[in-house]
Amino acid sequence: MAEQRKSPLQFFPYLTLAVFLLPILLGLVGTWLPAFGFLPTVGAGRFTLQPWLELLTHPSLPGALRATLISGVAATLLSLLLSLWITAYLYKTAFWSCIERSLAPLLAIPHAAFALGLTFLIAPSGWLIRLASPWLTGFAHPPGWSTTGDSLALSLTLTMVFKEVPFLLLLTMAALNQIDVRRTVWVGRSLGFQRFQVWTRLIIPQLYPMLRLPVLTVLAYSLSVVDLALIIGPSLPPPLAVLVDRWFNDPDLSRRLVGAAGATLLFLLISILIGIFLLAEQGVVRLTKPWLINGVRRSPRNLMERGARLAAATILATTCLCFFLLVAWSVTGSWRFPDAYPHTFSLFYWTKSLPLVAQPLATAAVLGFLSASIAVILVLGCLENERYLPRSRIDSLSRRSIWVLYLPLLIPQIGFLFGIQMVLVLLHLEGSWFSLVWIHLVFVLPYVFLTLAMTYRRYDQRYFDVAAILSGSSRRAFFRIKLLMLAKPILFSFAVGFAVSIAQYLPTLYVGAGRFATITTETVSLAGGSDRRVIAVYALCQFLLPFLLYSLAIWLPALLFRNRQLMKN
Amino acid sequence: MSLVLDAVEIYLNGSRLFAPVSLNVPPGRTLTLMGPSGCGKSTLLAAICGNLEAGFSLNGTMQLNGRRLNELPMEERRIGILFQDDLLFPHLDVFGNMAFGLPSRLTREQKRKKIVSTLAMADLDGFENRDIATLSGGQKARVSLLRTLLAEPQALLLDEPFSKLDRQLKQNVREFVFQQISNLAIPALLVTHDIDDAADANVLELRNGEDNA
Repeated sequence: MAEQRKSPLQFFPYLTLAVFLLPILLGLVGTWLPAFGFLPTVGAGRFTLQPWLELLTHPSLPGALRATLISGVAATLLSLLLSLWITAYLYKTAFWSCIERSLAPLLAIPHAAFALGLTFLIAPSGWLIRLASPWLTGFAHPPGWSTTGDSLALSLTLTMVFKEVPFLLLLTMAALNQIDVRRTVWVGRSLGFQRFQVWTRLIIPQLYPMLRLPVLTVLAYSLSVVDLALIIGPSLPPPLAVLVDRWFNDPDLSRRLVGAAGATLLFLLISILIGIFLLAEQGVVRLTKPWLINGVRRSPRNLMERGARLAAATILATTCLCFFLLVAWSVTGSWRFPDAYPHTFSLFYWTKSLPLVAQPLATAAVLGFLSASIAVILVLGCLENERYLPRSRIDSLSRRSIWVLYLPLLIPQIGFLFGIQMVLVLLHLEGSWFSLVWIHLVFVLPYVFLTLAMTYRRYDQRYFDVAAILSGSSRRAFFRIKLLMLAKPILFSFAVGFAVSIAQYLPTLYVGAGRFATITTETVSLAGGSDRRVIAVYALCQFLLPFLLYSLAIWLPALLFRNRQLMKN
Repeated sequence: MSLVLDAVEIYLNGSRLFAPVSLNVPPGRTLTLMGPSGCGKSTLLAAICGNLEAGFSLNGTMQLNGRRLNELPMEERRIGILFQDDLLFPHLDVFGNMAFGLPSRLTREQKRKKIVSTLAMADLDGFENRDIATLSGGQKARVSLLRTLLAEPQALLLDEPFSKLDRQLKQNVREFVFQQISNLAIPALLVTHDIDDAADANVLELRNGEDNA
């Protein structure tokens, strides 16, 4: 029987849970009540189905739902299939290590900045058409195509696929560490199967359960994203989340009730689609069972491997290209259509914009720093507290807590932010640093936990024990030995949390009550109709902060421990 | 019908792992390969399977039943491998694991019969639908071997397959393995630290590469 010790950290899990769950629950209820006509602040105090009637008969709704469903479902399925395909064909090849190295910078580029870069590439006046004009296309003016903002939301889908494939690849890499891939492939191939067959039959069935939750977050995200949809999505009508956002910000206050009904509809839609997805998963498992063991050996298909290479290369190259286009436009003096390269270069837009960017950058940095720091402290407290629990409880706890952790990522932001706004208005806390940091924390915490937990739990606790015995103080053992040995993963999870905070768009707007402009809210609001050169400067600034933090998280430990071979891993 | 290596050497970034190996294992016999840890025993098995990692290179020739192996991809060599870990596929039951390697030319009924009778032969009657996690160490080891053998390999490689079993079990599994090898009349190569694992006096010591370079 293990001795039950009272840990000084025992309140950490509860505190962390409260940080998570409280705003989400309040926010959901605060959105559901107005959806049924109850919103005293605008003088609506009677329960009615009127908002729903208005929502369901709204002329924009069918188009909005279509755009939402196409972009959400297609982006999720495509991202999942592409990342599995790329992994199955390229894992541990020379090209794979190239992908591995480029993932961090790829992920550091915020969604909004990438989407802006992509519009510079594929828009009718974008670089691709410029390259082919006028010698091939004969265009002297940008054609009237809708290669961005198309009504089927295909360009939005594409943007999300480009951003989600690297995300899923990163998680796949982590998950594959828990599978003996080398020897499974060895056994499978020595039984006579092709490499790809071994992947589809043996490795993906083991890998997928570990990817399930991340894939569901991709689904929820793609169905409810607002900032990307504003930049590159359709506008007439926009996806449901954007439509709801418009209603919430309509000068006509009664529109908020319709908005609340729309937000609730989106919440229901995502819940149902998650349910369908899980059912479909069961179906796929059942249907493929006989096929898994039918023993058919195939001859290799080089075409498929080339396809995987092409897909991965396209994602890498496009992202690089988008980045270079942002850089090019930011230093452009003049660049007329259809020239392929800028006519003159100038730093004018940097010098003009920097004074304007400084404040939003500083606000974003402070927000990111505060929320990431608090998140890291809470997560460290929770993880360190696990040491005092019996092993069996940790396993069941971590299995259950993982769903709670993912909760903020599975619920559409627009589905509960309005409710939070209402609650904050009641408490007179709207637009305060306190509430803004808190709401960022809700989204930062899961990512910090997920990036840190695995490494932290794998720490060899005997180092701590030896240190505690030698120094006679477990506090010293913790701060001087354990934290320093784990400095690298802790700093990395801090950088991830920081980047997540920087990228927050809706939470900053809704909880900040318009009093806080961050680099992200400014960049997205410029995207509509501003000068490309200004947009490029803002987008690069948005990329700057996460990039600095990621670099620091990689270089700082390397510098600190430059003479310590064993700290390399 | 035999496994023949002729002056096989393996290099890692230019340095030789062990002195050239030549051997000839006749069908139904097991050659035991011993040597200090890190001398490249497992790497040699990987080379025979065709699974050398990037950075390694190979000299010499390898033949199985007169077929030259060197250039064949792993899945065409028809060489079964067993590790100390059973590597049973956790998403499939015992039946699924055993059926996985069976040739597809068999009908479903033929497959079922074959698996049921094979399990019975190994004292695992009625284990078809068992989840892998519910098997004991010895049962896993036997299922793993049976899976490998059902794929009808023309040679068998064993990478310390008994080292995770306790003493009593080791004896049983070892006898079972050697009996299957002689029944099927295929050559087998066993890598081990433990001289007790050797099937008979047929032992080859792997020597360090630098000594003879």
